[in-house]
Amino acid sequence: MNVNILASIWNYATEFLAVNAKPLLQIYVLPGLIFILGFAIIAVWFERKFLARAMLRVGPYYCGKRSGVLQVFADFLKLFMKEIIVPKDMNFLFFAAMPVLVSTVPALALILIPFDANWVLWDIGSLGLPMFFAIAGIAPLIPIFAGWASNNKYGFIGAFRVAYMYISAEIPLVICGAAVAIMAGSFDLVEIVQAQRNMWFAVPQFIGFVIFFLGVIIESERTPFDIPVAEVELVLGWRTEYSGILFGFTMMAEYVMFQAWTLLFITLYLGGFNGPVLGFLGVTGSHIFWMLAKFAFMVVLIVLIRTVYPRLRLDQMLDLGWKYLTPLALLNLALVLGMKMLGVY
Amino acid sequence: MSEPTITPDLMRISWGPQHPMSGQTRILLDVDGEKVHKIIADLGFTHRGIEKILENRSFLQGIVPIERMVMIDTANIGLGYVMAIEESLGIEVPERAHWIRSLVCELSRISSHLYAFGLQAESTGYFPAVFLWTTTDRTVLLDLMEELTGARFSYNFFLPGGVMKDLTEGFEDRVIEGVQYLRKRFEDYWTAMIENIVFEARCNDVAVLKPEDAIRLGATGPVLRGSGISIDVRKDEPYAAYGDLDFEVITESACDSMARTKVRYREIGQSLNMMEQVANEIPGGPIRTRFPLFTRSKPGEVYSRVETGRGEMGIHMFTAVGMNPYRVKINSPTLRNMYVFERLCELDEMLMADVPVVINSIDPWYLDSDR
Amino acid sequence: MSEAELVEAITTSHAEQIESAEVLRSQRVSVVVKREVFLEVAEALRDEYGFKTPSAAGGLDYPKEERMQMIYYLFNPDSKITLTLRVDLPRDDPTLPTLTGVWEAMSFHEREAHEMFGIEFEGHPNMIPLLMPPDWRGGYPLRKDFKGEAGEE
Repeated sequence: MNVNILASIWNYATEFLAVNAKPLLQIYVLPGLIFILGFAIIAVWFERKFLARAMLRVGPYYCGKRSGVLQVFADFLKLFMKEIIVPKDMNFLFFAAMPVLVSTVPALALILIPFDANWVLWDIGSLGLPMFFAIAGIAPLIPIFAGWASNNKYGFIGAFRVAYMYISAEIPLVICGAAVAIMAGSFDLVEIVQAQRNMWFAVPQFIGFVIFFLGVIIESERTPFDIPVAEVELVLGWRTEYSGILFGFTMMAEYVMFQAWTLLFITLYLGGFNGPVLGFLGVTGSHIFWMLAKFAFMVVLIVLIRTVYPRLRLDQMLDLGWKYLTPLALLNLALVLGMKMLGVY
Repeated sequence: MSEPTITPDLMRISWGPQHPMSGQTRILLDVDGEKVHKIIADLGFTHRGIEKILENRSFLQGIVPIERMVMIDTANIGLGYVMAIEESLGIEVPERAHWIRSLVCELSRISSHLYAFGLQAESTGYFPAVFLWTTTDRTVLLDLMEELTGARFSYNFFLPGGVMKDLTEGFEDRVIEGVQYLRKRFEDYWTAMIENIVFEARCNDVAVLKPEDAIRLGATGPVLRGSGISIDVRKDEPYAAYGDLDFEVITESACDSMARTKVRYREIGQSLNMMEQVANEIPGGPIRTRFPLFTRSKPGEVYSRVETGRGEMGIHMFTAVGMNPYRVKINSPTLRNMYVFERLCELDEMLMADVPVVINSIDPWYLDSDR
Repeated sequence: MSEAELVEAITTSHAEQIESAEVLRSQRVSVVVKREVFLEVAEALRDEYGFKTPSAAGGLDYPKEERMQMIYYLFNPDSKITLTLRVDLPRDDPTLPTLTGVWEAMSFHEREAHEMFGIEFEGHPNMIPLLMPPDWRGGYPLRKDFKGEAGEE
């Protein structure tokens, strides 16, 4: 009797896992939870160590055998335990919902990224690229609401800086995305990657490549474009009033946004998961490996940029967006159309 | 400060005193979006009444509180006070003491300029490398200072009639070693910071202060020289050994924040040259004439001027019959430059993001302006 | 123009308006002016003698002689002479027309002299405390009879 029940549970579990193992793995491990949280932790640690080297310091040292890697966990724990201070006369729900949303909405865009032709968490075919831009287009609204909800002058100015910045950056990004889709002949991210099997789109669309690279830095609010959170004039911009774990969420949002846009950048220009198949990993494994390797390279590059450049001013950034990036993106689109008409591609 | 009225449709932002970048003061900014329409400097957060304190101290005791005015530039501040005492009491200073004073003053000026230079990097954004580099390289100077005076900051090294101690054995060689090391590092600063394309974009043509405005508003120090006017107390009325030392007054003609930063950068180079000259050519002899511990002064007045890292500092000492100065008026450079800063947003268009850049190009030290 | 020539020129052209003018030492000139005509002399110094840079200003208190002195430090960027422009004020009526009309940058220094010495500046555009707290009621700190006690609100 008991044996029968156990056996049926076992059968059920094996059947369930046989069908759902991959989705579960995707949700909890690769584009999902562990990847997002793990990246935030590793990136914070790496950034602190790397910046410390550039500043002739050592960086986190004592927690975790001289590498200081546990310091990040300690800091997260500290943020969890800290009191959340809510400003007076505040709609708490609205105020508290924004940091949670700001870190989860970009994560939605992340699940569209193909790590292999068969490893896409949310495979919506030819809606992939438009959906990414749609979700990523919602994301900047949330800091604006957060800054508004903070009822703080620094937060207010920071929120409007976010609005200015994202609008001027997103238009060239979308135009570049369209150029890539035209060249690949599809909006499906998997097909875009497969179209780059012989040559990465970074080569024929070099202008778009540069524009998109700058766009990634702008969208993830990293130096030299961390204008909305410029601490020397705005304390922390739209994040000023958040404390405790709510502040932790806003910090994480930066990394999730960074992750989503960088992965899209790799997918569109750096050949996505294409790469030589490594025997011991299998096809899917080596595709995932190449994706992560390119991602790691991009992280190092962008952190390096942070150590080298100071912050641009808002008007200079807007000049860059409207006077240079947008016309160049249109030029890029025209070049792609020309190549397409001449049949080069 | 009771808050002045605000024009409608503007938003008033407090930049400081609780702010990552502001220092110990409050700057009120009336902004319309990003554009700054009015700047109001609310000083006095660190007012300690040094002028009053000096009235109640004997001449020698006054050396200690006055050096608390600018911790990073103590030698130049202290020298102004000591020179005022010497002049009012008629004390002679031996030649070697003059040269040692110049050496210590230049060490102090470099460390002050280095700090300003690093803060300028910090003010353009999270551009940490240069700030930490300057702080690290300052250690070379502080080590020299520690060896000579026994303290890294606030040396109280100058006495009326000379200096406290003679140079230690082999100190000249270590000065030259330090100068050579710093010269090499400054080339890195030039490429990493001044020639950095984003830094240039942030500092060029920001807050242009025309020469006639600089003179009219009473700017001083690197702010004045950044507007192309060659005024330097060390040249105009040489004190200590500056009459014998060979140096130029640095000016830049661009008049913007970058020019002021470059003035500091190139003045550091001049200071390094002077340190080398002192180390090579210092004359021998006594370092101090006797200064009686309990001095009675005659009625009179003395106005001594020195060039500190932030500009001209004047100390006007009135003496009556007694052991204390009757009154000491300290004309601090930061107070003069802060008025220029208040007016800069009217002279040139300024945005929110320019405020930290501009104020660090002024290089204020609020303990100096508040006294 | 050397210091002696400067003093000579001032004493001849403004003989009625100044009380005394002397050379203290090289590059230091002191001019004591009558209170009523003080602005005229200041304008002349700026326009005719080239004292374009205002350095500072501060007060001075002589309780025994029942007088105060307001001292303005002016600098000539061409001849590098520092001139101290002084006005004697009676201690019971320390009022003075403001000099901000001549040198705008004297604003800060006059505000300081006002809160430290109680000297009134007629027509100053923005007479609020500079260094002292806004609710300070303890008298004028740099006067010689200041006892060091904060007053009641």
